[in-house]
Amino acid sequence: MADEKVDVLIIGSGHSGGMAAKILTEKGISCLMLNAGPVVDVHRDTDVKAAYELPYRGFKQPGQLPHVFQSDEFNANTWVDEKEVPYTHDPKKPYNWVRVRLFGGRSLFWSRASFRLSDYEFKGKTHDGYGDDWPISHADLAPYYARVEGIFRVQGELANLPQFPDGNFIPDPDPWCGSMQRFRAAAAKRNIPISKQRTSLGIDGLASSVNLLLPDAFATGKLRAIPNVIVRSLTVDKSTGLVNEAHFVDRLTRREMSVKARVVVLAAGTLESTRLLLNSQLGNSSGVMGHYLIDQIYGAGFNCSVPEARDGKSTDQLMSGSAIIPRFRNISTRESKFLRGYALNVWSGTGDIEPRSFAAYGAELQQKLQSYNGSGFSTGIMGEVLARRENHVRISKDVVDAWGIPSLHIETSYTDNEFNMARDAVDTGMQLAEDAGFEILSKNYDPNPPGYSIHELGTCRMGDDPKTSVLNKWNQSHDHKNLFVIDGSSFVSAGWQNPTMTISALAMRAATYLAEQMRLGNV
Amino acid sequence: MQRRDFVKAIMAATAASAATPAALAQQQAAPAAATPPPPPTAPGPVPWMKGLMEAKPLPIGSLVADSVARSDARFLTERQFSTLRRLCEIFQPPMKGYPGALEAGVPEFLDFLIGVSPAERQQSFQAGLNRLDAEAQQRFGQPLAAVTAAQADQLIRPWLRTWMSDHPPTEPYENFINLVHEDIRTATENSQVWSDAVRRSGKETPNVDLYWYPVDPDLHRDGAPSLALKSTHTKA
Repeated sequence: MADEKVDVLIIGSGHSGGMAAKILTEKGISCLMLNAGPVVDVHRDTDVKAAYELPYRGFKQPGQLPHVFQSDEFNANTWVDEKEVPYTHDPKKPYNWVRVRLFGGRSLFWSRASFRLSDYEFKGKTHDGYGDDWPISHADLAPYYARVEGIFRVQGELANLPQFPDGNFIPDPDPWCGSMQRFRAAAAKRNIPISKQRTSLGIDGLASSVNLLLPDAFATGKLRAIPNVIVRSLTVDKSTGLVNEAHFVDRLTRREMSVKARVVVLAAGTLESTRLLLNSQLGNSSGVMGHYLIDQIYGAGFNCSVPEARDGKSTDQLMSGSAIIPRFRNISTRESKFLRGYALNVWSGTGDIEPRSFAAYGAELQQKLQSYNGSGFSTGIMGEVLARRENHVRISKDVVDAWGIPSLHIETSYTDNEFNMARDAVDTGMQLAEDAGFEILSKNYDPNPPGYSIHELGTCRMGDDPKTSVLNKWNQSHDHKNLFVIDGSSFVSAGWQNPTMTISALAMRAATYLAEQMRLGNV
Repeated sequence: MQRRDFVKAIMAATAASAATPAALAQQQAAPAAATPPPPPTAPGPVPWMKGLMEAKPLPIGSLVADSVARSDARFLTERQFSTLRRLCEIFQPPMKGYPGALEAGVPEFLDFLIGVSPAERQQSFQAGLNRLDAEAQQRFGQPLAAVTAAQADQLIRPWLRTWMSDHPPTEPYENFINLVHEDIRTATENSQVWSDAVRRSGKETPNVDLYWYPVDPDLHRDGAPSLALKSTHTKA
């Protein structure tokens, strides 16, 4: 029977696990990667179908994936079935935990919005007195951001704004369309910045670990991987205090197995990594693990119509592309109703307008849909959720998943800070749209439930003080020096930005540090 | 999946029929002690499998049951179903060569869909239909199924709202009116007769997307006992 001790065990195969594998193997370090789900073969696992060919005519199967608003009947089989991997929450405090366990994880499906955090996030407490600063600044991470942006092929426009740091971008070749120019002019009159979107082009539109990171790691010959195994717990050698073994279960056969490792890199996704550590009862001498769960508010926004694009007059020159209003609140002024800030995504397009944009039906609705076709202009918020200790996860005492692994109880909610921020975003955005001469069709002030953004962060926050943080500034456990947690769980604050660039840059930085420590014999 | 099951079934049946003569032969041969038993047959490909591999797929295609058969309504009461039929006529009538909700079998489909939905959704749907019908009775002295389009408009229009994804109106009756409207539209436009109409007009098939089959599905989803439950590694 094999009783090998692997050099580095990487748990998880998404952007952070993939990045660690790439960096470590390219430095000659052998890695074993475990992933909870199977490997996707799109040719085998998918088919192009019309909605009428599906069992529920394109409606989601009733009762399936109630917390995954992003799911539909076409993609339902890509998400984690919450009956198989359940979690609990207070019915009055819903949480949408949106998960993918396929090899590559959520990196297979992310929106590719690619932003850096600024020092308004890294040093938020210094700026406004709330919460905690990160133990690192933008300058510490900037070299890694630049390398990640190069790998992901981030396209964007330089904005020269301190709250929206520029990077290593491929220039955006498309001109601003007419409707965006009008919206931009309206924003400029109110001193509100607006920039082209920043997006990872990847390869053929895919910017996943499976095509940008893992191929390089496998090419070294130093990476091995096992799909379909779910890590149940980690154990510690009591004589050394080092993590020494991972215990996992085969997803299909239920066979229990163990593997020894010199170093463990945890990259299972924020809440799965924390769940594994809590179930293993390690790394939590601070008592902070599981606390400070954060994410970003999504769902508030509005839809409008550009009158000049109606009645068959829509063109790509007038209606196309996307833009972003980066955070502009609480930079040089201080809002009375909320701390921190939000960004607004802005879209313009020549497509259909949603029927729910009109309070009409039958022929009247059809006439409106025809007339307004191609005139749609819409916005959506991405707002920072403040880090609060009381927003936390813990192990459920009596709920286990399909493999008998104790589940998470998630307890989190938004406060007036988030609700006031959402209201300000919608009102401000609508003012700009009206200034630009657009007609508001529908609006929504209410954020979606926590978790919806799929940007769950925190719960193993980093910090300089082992009494108040789980990880040090290198994503290394304060308690076990051969344990690194490199996914979004290390975040101290959420910011408004899609976190993928930051997670990937942190993973790259942590793996680089780990490789050097291994070379020096310190780990 | 079905094809795999079909192949498995054929293999099992063939194995059974192949085993029977061999067993009989052994029984018949038993008295003749001097005759050596036949060598055991090694498992592996048998001649018919070659034929199966080379058989051309049957031209079955992807016939959708809706195109030849009608769903039997089973969930809603007769009165509720009549109300839903009238709502379908009002919200989504045939227009400009496109079928209406009735032609798309929407009342029957929604009866099925709601019938397999969680209880809360069922109750909301039925309560909405009941209230609409009761208001028709109260204001016009007849069930909704019998009111004119103008009368129905007086009952429906005050409750129509504009709204955004994931945020339908929260007041229960407003919620029902706006969601049933969306359901009727979606079920109509996702039907095969609608797609056929779109194709006839020279456009591409609408509402087409990449469908994901279950990826390496877990064989134990039905709750088979797991060794893991007894694991010493499990921590409460």
